[in-house]
Amino acid sequence: MEFNEFLFTNVLCELEDAVGRENCSVREADKITHSVDYFWLSRMWADRGKHMPEADVVVCPLNAEETSKVLKIANYYKIPVTTWGGGGGTQGGAIPVAGGIVVDTKRMDKIYEINTQSMYIECGAGAIYKHVEWAANEKGYATMHYPSSLNCSTVGGFLAHRGIGVVSTKYGKIDDMVLQMEIVLPNGDIITTSPAPKHAAGPDLNQIFIGSEGTLGIITKAQMRIYEQPEVRYFRGFLFRDMTSAFRAGKEILQKFKPSVMRLYDEAETGSLIKKIVGVEKKGAFMNVAVEGVKEITDVELKILLETFRKYGAEDLGAEYGEKWWKEKITFFYPGHMMDLPEMFGTMDTIAPYDKIEKIYREMKKAIETNFPMARFIAHFSHWYEWGCMIYDRFIVDDVPKDPKEAMRLHNAIWNCGVRTALKNGGVVNDHHGVGIKLGRLMKEQYGPAMQVFTGLKKQLDPNGIMNPFKLGL
Amino acid sequence: MNFTEKARKHIDSCRFCWMCRHICPIGNATGQERNNARARALCLSLVMRGAEKPEAVAENVYECALCSACVKECATGWDPVYFILEARKELATEGKLPSYIEKMLDNYEKSGCVYSAAEENVSLTEAKKRHSIKTDTLFLLSHAAIYRDCADTVKSIELLEKTGIKFTVAENEPSSGADIRFLIGDTGETQEAARNCAKLLNEYKTVIFLNPDDAEIVVREYKEWGTEVNAKLVTFTSFIAANLDKLKVKNKGVAIAPQDPFALGRELNETEPLRKIAAAAGKVTEMLNNRKDTFIAGSAIMAEYMPEVMKAVALRRFGDAAAAGAEVMLTCSPSEHAVVKDVAFDGVKALSVAELLLE
Ligand code: SF4
Ligand code: SF4
Repeated sequence: MEFNEFLFTNVLCELEDAVGRENCSVREADKITHSVDYFWLSRMWADRGKHMPEADVVVCPLNAEETSKVLKIANYYKIPVTTWGGGGGTQGGAIPVAGGIVVDTKRMDKIYEINTQSMYIECGAGAIYKHVEWAANEKGYATMHYPSSLNCSTVGGFLAHRGIGVVSTKYGKIDDMVLQMEIVLPNGDIITTSPAPKHAAGPDLNQIFIGSEGTLGIITKAQMRIYEQPEVRYFRGFLFRDMTSAFRAGKEILQKFKPSVMRLYDEAETGSLIKKIVGVEKKGAFMNVAVEGVKEITDVELKILLETFRKYGAEDLGAEYGEKWWKEKITFFYPGHMMDLPEMFGTMDTIAPYDKIEKIYREMKKAIETNFPMARFIAHFSHWYEWGCMIYDRFIVDDVPKDPKEAMRLHNAIWNCGVRTALKNGGVVNDHHGVGIKLGRLMKEQYGPAMQVFTGLKKQLDPNGIMNPFKLGL
Repeated sequence: MNFTEKARKHIDSCRFCWMCRHICPIGNATGQERNNARARALCLSLVMRGAEKPEAVAENVYECALCSACVKECATGWDPVYFILEARKELATEGKLPSYIEKMLDNYEKSGCVYSAAEENVSLTEAKKRHSIKTDTLFLLSHAAIYRDCADTVKSIELLEKTGIKFTVAENEPSSGADIRFLIGDTGETQEAARNCAKLLNEYKTVIFLNPDDAEIVVREYKEWGTEVNAKLVTFTSFIAANLDKLKVKNKGVAIAPQDPFALGRELNETEPLRKIAAAAGKVTEMLNNRKDTFIAGSAIMAEYMPEVMKAVALRRFGDAAAAGAEVMLTCSPSEHAVVKDVAFDGVKALSVAELLLE
């Protein structure tokens, strides 16, 4: 429906009544800054001097009650609602492609409780994760969620996109770190998930909303786990002759215990990024491992790690490179170090069991390099489980078409090729960045008839289809 | 807007980067997406490309405190303060300033002071009269202190008297240029203000700065502009810290969190005198982000046009002090004190150096 000036102003007054006039904005600066996230296409669009689709109004509620009022208004007038946390997502999940209302969650940043008896922090979903980490640190604890976007993304953003941090192998993904959530449903009802995350009281409500990218509701509060600071954290750098022995060594160590950091870089990434930032000059596949926790246990783990990796011919490079990597782990992502426009690039992270992962890597590399000879392909493997691991594989194109629409065509064709190759060989659409508008079209290809579970939920919870339209393939 | 090549490069580096979002005191206080370095750069990058009008983003350019927290945080050396100052200069040149900034500039043109209703408080005039005779030492108060924190400025004069030093306070103090630089960047007017102030400073052997913002501009920027100051330059905080023995301070054991103004914590790297003062009067308890990582607790000049945001900034800093277990947040910047003095926070009170030591 087209909104004339009269009706728009009327809706605006209702929204102002819900959240306060100062928390409702039609200012150009607010619209612009909520229109470009970390998605390459949105950045390219802005780089070419084009406005991305913008919200008609940006609304900043303080809590679930105000969020509920906003969603009731939006539902009545059937206005699209896109939720914005930090806007640091790479998949275009936070871009208001259909205009309407952007709900920015960052005023919901309160730390309600630091519960050291049950080891969690209860906070608003708009809290920046680094601030939650600071709150934990002040009491002597840590959140152990350390992605490169720690400084900029919110608790809700990580939950909505199933984020992951660099010590995930030991401490888990964001979906392992949450106890309970408060969510506002599209009709304005405020719900809380189960009081404990492990139970047999039916399906897991947390896991229905985690990764739903604002299509089923808005997360407004969460209880996030905190951990004791490790007594020791030991780093060890290794150089493997080939990727196959590295996968085998990694899999074997995971049957014995869980390191915190495990990052295996393919030969191309070892020879580029790792050489540049960490200083490893040798040829091969670099792997950085950290073990941590209680000293006595960790000493034994380090011994087992060295023995196991030796069996697979890994050269022990000592602690220095790993320590340097830890220090620089976020530096990688600052402008000037990170790949940036005018280059085209994308991270096609996927995950699979060990019996498939190496093939997926090789097939994706082959598919990208053969079909798109202008693209370079680099990869690392950074989150490991007892049964498999993920690939963080990236393509980089230096010579990008000048016409933004042509650039979009090339970009989407490379993505289609990469993700379809992953799917064909047993991978998934994405490991930890989410789906957004970037990969929505490929969700049906992964899930087939299983997709009806998601569409059924969507129809039931959001019959007017107002919540983050065109995302997640819903 | 005619940005220099350097500013263009910095704008284009910051426009898609949020790595310093968490330390922007304005963004933290307001929760607004537009309040961080990336947001300002993104808006300006569209203006640079002709896709947006300067006036549409002008207000956002003035929502930055120029506190340099982002500059310090940036691992690859990009500098939002640089391009924000340039944007302010360009907006002024093009006559596209927000009306409230225009008003402050009008004040400056008429009275040499950016603050409106710039009438001096009677007790301050009295205190100044006691120090009207020329000595070797000038106590430079700053316009923020004179017009927005006058009661405390009187106390600061009293505290300085107690050290036994003979000093002069100028009857009509000129602007150091810090406030005008804040409004329109590094322009001819700013440098003229600097030259004018330098004339006064050079009449003295020593200058004691009450306002760290003045100390910073004189020490750092005057040199850049080729304006020489030969006097010995000392901050009020460091002077008091060095003369604590003359002040017979009683230690009451109260938990005190030193609030480093960014001009001292980050720019001049002078953080220990404030702690020495705090340790003399109580026990020092550190906020999580201190010294070079400090957050501002307020800004007198910004309070002129965004008082509610400054209140929120102050509340956030009080929260940091409370989390550190402090009962007192000790400020040494009149610009910050002008804001925090009017904000109530359960369990923590804000005191200036003078208030703490004269209590
Ligand atoms: S100053 Fe550095 S960290 Fe901040 S936005 Fe710019 S590039 Fe990013
Ligand atoms: S200078 Fe300070 S207020 Fe301005 S963007 Fe940087 S951190 Fe924020």
